[in-house]
Amino acid sequence: MTAGALSLGLLDFQSWAKASAEAPVIRIPTICNGCGNRCALFAFVKNGRIWRVEGNPEANGNQGVLCPKGHGYLHDVYNPNRIRSPLKRVEGRFQPISWEQAYKEIAQKINLILLENGPESIFWVNYPQPNQAYALRFMHSLGSPHYFTHGSTCFTARNAAWNFTVGKLPSNDLANSRFIMIVGRNPAGGIDLGQVKDIVKAKEKGAKVVVVDPRHNETAILADEWLPVKPGTDLALLLAMINVMVSEKLYHKEFVKDHTVGFQQLEDEIINYPPEWAEKICNIPAKTIIRITREIAREKPHALIHRGYHGAIGAQYLNSFQTARALAIANALLGNINRKGGIYFAEAAELGELQPTHPAPVGPSGPKADGTGIPGRYPLGSYGDGISHAIPELALRGVLKCGFVYHHNPLRTNPNPKRVIAGYKKLELLVVIDPVLSETASIAHYVLPASFYLEADEAVDTKHYGKRAQVSIQRKVIEPLFDSRSGFQIIVDLAKCLGVGKYFNFTLDEANELRLKPLGAALKDLKAKGILPVGAPWKEGFGKLGTPSGKVEIASSTLENLGYPAIPRWEAPLVSPDDKDPHSFRLIHGKQAIHTHAMTANQPYLMAISRRYDMIRLLINRARAEKIGLKDGDVAEIKSLVGEGKIRVKLTEGLHPSCVWLPSGYGIFSKYLTTAYDQGLSYNDFLPTLFDPTVGHAMSSEVIVQVTKA
Amino acid sequence: MAKYGMVIDETKCVGCYACRVACQNQNHLRENEAYNYLEEREFGTFPNFNREFLPVQCQHCDNPPCVSVCPTGASHKRKDGIVLVNEKDCIGCKYCIAACPYNVRIIKKEGYIEKCRFCIEFVEEGGKPACMTTCMTGVRMFGDLDDPQSDIAQFIARNGHRLRVLKREMNTKPRIFYRKA
Repeated sequence: MTAGALSLGLLDFQSWAKASAEAPVIRIPTICNGCGNRCALFAFVKNGRIWRVEGNPEANGNQGVLCPKGHGYLHDVYNPNRIRSPLKRVEGRFQPISWEQAYKEIAQKINLILLENGPESIFWVNYPQPNQAYALRFMHSLGSPHYFTHGSTCFTARNAAWNFTVGKLPSNDLANSRFIMIVGRNPAGGIDLGQVKDIVKAKEKGAKVVVVDPRHNETAILADEWLPVKPGTDLALLLAMINVMVSEKLYHKEFVKDHTVGFQQLEDEIINYPPEWAEKICNIPAKTIIRITREIAREKPHALIHRGYHGAIGAQYLNSFQTARALAIANALLGNINRKGGIYFAEAAELGELQPTHPAPVGPSGPKADGTGIPGRYPLGSYGDGISHAIPELALRGVLKCGFVYHHNPLRTNPNPKRVIAGYKKLELLVVIDPVLSETASIAHYVLPASFYLEADEAVDTKHYGKRAQVSIQRKVIEPLFDSRSGFQIIVDLAKCLGVGKYFNFTLDEANELRLKPLGAALKDLKAKGILPVGAPWKEGFGKLGTPSGKVEIASSTLENLGYPAIPRWEAPLVSPDDKDPHSFRLIHGKQAIHTHAMTANQPYLMAISRRYDMIRLLINRARAEKIGLKDGDVAEIKSLVGEGKIRVKLTEGLHPSCVWLPSGYGIFSKYLTTAYDQGLSYNDFLPTLFDPTVGHAMSSEVIVQVTKA
Repeated sequence: MAKYGMVIDETKCVGCYACRVACQNQNHLRENEAYNYLEEREFGTFPNFNREFLPVQCQHCDNPPCVSVCPTGASHKRKDGIVLVNEKDCIGCKYCIAACPYNVRIIKKEGYIEKCRFCIEFVEEGGKPACMTTCMTGVRMFGDLDDPQSDIAQFIARNGHRLRVLKREMNTKPRIFYRKA
């Protein structure tokens, strides 16, 4: 066995273990990249190969534990599907190219495109990484406003609603809550380790947990009660709960009087939504709604409705924004805003600036081409995130001409892939930065191999917010296997090649030190520990909020001025299944604990679980399935306006009869991803391209499908 | 001498499979080799429904059928209660697989039989089994059953009426105790 083979780490795990039995073990603190939570961990390296990982007990976000992706995804560093050098597509085939040559060619092409079409014709889209500030700086230095995140397919409605109500996105003090209600969020499946640990702690202290979800999700296993709401109607349930709180005077009177505006308007409006009305819409019995509302109010202010994420309120329905508003208002009525056991403003580290040492470019002042920033176009849209699933539309219209896709795979994670492919193919230049040939990378003109997270140092991160802020850092754990570079390095290199290097005259260490400086944290200490607490601990209560009135806005005059109801009103979903057609279902989706977006399905350790436990199936309510002749394990055909596909079904009693549920993360169609290729389907295959008129999100559960026995 | 055992809380497992992959890494297993598995069960009819996941692994029985059928002594029970397979003595006859009522033994690519080892090398250095330390809901508890001060011994003392063992009728005397749902 050669030293080279060992250091490459491509040996079978067990053969390597035997060869390395006596080797010393090195422990290096870093952060995971198996999803966006960036959990802090210790990596154990033996003989140059990553062996195993352990959760860092200091970390707010994961409190010493790790999920299956944390353990499984590390093996992807040794995945034979990884790209070994920069690639250029020549007549449909990829050819290796040197970094210098790739940069030179990319710079030439971009300069010509920008000369002809203006600086706004270039974009950058990424699933946020700690280096996102540098990507934004890169776009600004070129004069383009077009930096995008994946937000419009994920969370923008939720963020907008919380911003309008309390001025910012808060967190949940789950561990100290006496009553936890969770609507459309599943921290035990779309894993948030710290949240699950906190729910368990709260339960041990006697808290009650209620989960509202059309599917009996993984968090429901821990709950005292599961309320199987009809998908798309969570708003009716929340309005009825508010109705009960108001009519039975269960709300926190002192808090409402001192800290909110618009309660009078709420009283006048909410009278329209008694529980008996809601029952007919959301299928939760009126008496249950009344009982749950009384129970949660009894524990106020140490009671909460989870702040939510993607499901129900993030980017799912036409009414997601109003649903999130109702959810925020219901919390305010419990008097729990910034209270122990309630919704609280977590302490998050505010990193320092690079200027004045390294002056920032003057950013472009105009709106984005997706409409965010144009008054009245998407009045509640997020300018910072942009509307990334509009990129293909803007490319087809010739507005965007070239761009970078980094740590993101829109061909698989955006709705309506045929349209997405058409759009991204229309670009005159597409550069993808990824460790593997994802669907998006496989149609790029150039692919730049990003280092795997275990192979590179990166920018400091602030993800571990909590009762005391923390900073964390990704560190190089093993030597890079191939000719790859870190995301930070690629951004700096590209800027230099494109003639805007004057904004990037710093090394990673210098930049990290500058950003840590105002926090009083030393880079050396952070590297040694992986995570460091900074700033003062969280305190209860608040002064002036970031809303126009400085208070919790039950009624929002800003919304009213924009032509929206000041108080949430019932709004039906955009589409609904046909009750008379036994084949008509709403298609909803959710995460399994073992997969993240489209990036882990190619990981053999994680995909082995999908196969062993037969998890790549469409969930369907048993009675509905039997009506259309489907038995457990049968193959069903799914059809929507834009897509069709075949998949085996799992019959269950744990799903609302009006919908079918597809696990996200499958349906990989890049033939370069050999483990995941052609396994299962993605909900995106069936989704039309939609833009919610207020926030611009993807409305990713507004799709009706026909399900038949194949 | 310590007498190792485990408690598994049936009410807490949400089926995330972190224990499976943490164990695979700790023990250098290939992707299709696993020392533990989860059994999912559903109860009731919509909307009155619940489900649970039951984690299963080698029960480290005090009366281990795998040991009594092993023709070479490869499968053996240590004084500290842990059942192990000595890889060098294993001839791969699979008698132990047939005898074990818990379906927890695997055939390694190399031809010998393996199974959960309670991460014994790790435990001897003061660690805990990887399946336990990674778990976000704290399903497992591990320790010395003979030490009245240990968490596990105290838990068993407090919760005797809530405990059960798997397949008690087989008289295998498992050292994994399940806290009933």
